[in-house]
Amino acid sequence: MKVKTQMEGDVALVHVSGKLMGGPESENLRNEIKQLLDKGTTKFVINLKGVPWINSTGLGALMAVYTSVQRGEGVLKLAHVSDRIQSLFMITKLLTIFDTYATEKEAIDSF
Amino acid sequence: MSDAGSGSQELVLPSEYETLERVDEILLGCSRFNALDEKTQNEVALAMIEAVTNAVVHGNRLDKSKQVTVTCDWDPDEIRISVHDEGEGFDESCVWDPTDAEHCMKCSGRGVFIMRATMDDVEFEMSKETGTTVRMRKRTSGAGGGSGGEG
Repeated sequence: MKVKTQMEGDVALVHVSGKLMGGPESENLRNEIKQLLDKGTTKFVINLKGVPWINSTGLGALMAVYTSVQRGEGVLKLAHVSDRIQSLFMITKLLTIFDTYATEKEAIDSF
Repeated sequence: MSDAGSGSQELVLPSEYETLERVDEILLGCSRFNALDEKTQNEVALAMIEAVTNAVVHGNRLDKSKQVTVTCDWDPDEIRISVHDEGEGFDESCVWDPTDAEHCMKCSGRGVFIMRATMDDVEFEMSKETGTTVRMRKRTSGAGGGSGGEG
């Protein structure tokens, strides 16, 4: 799993690619968000276009990131959520927690 | 081995994170899976991912000397998946509903819930001597060829 960030104005666009299955690589995502929060960033879009698979551990990593951003008084949005991930959100009722958008632009424009 | 509508395959996998990334490979080797509609494919895949995750991470605790055995067999009416690990299992009464307001923000504890939500039957067999097996069944009659899924 790879994590790459670019700034679009004051919004951090975090591109994640690979299978989000927990494990040490999930720490990359948490660390990236933590570093951005430490720098004062409060608006985040995680682009999941490159994430075809996710399991409950990966879901836990997203929850941990969501909680960190909330604690930092920030806002997190998700873009390009695949059908499989969307169905996981529906089953676990996390669609009510995560703010999801079809595209990165829609997510950015929503701030 | 398989004939026109039924078959089976078994894979023995090491207990490491890389194994979790092979779940799609296992399922794509199952001809009945490939014929299912997308919704049913997603449900079976989600359950399989969680079962293998539980076996590798919680059952065998990423101990590479321990193995996970995945068996998938199918006929025109259903897919049956079993995942065996060498761990001692867990207390089923301690599995909470992650959709409850009290638990929904937690970062773990959704695996068994996802399996039960996506499959028709999920049973655990746990033994300190022989390990833990989860057996899952999904009815698939009517779920092939885009005619709509179940569950």
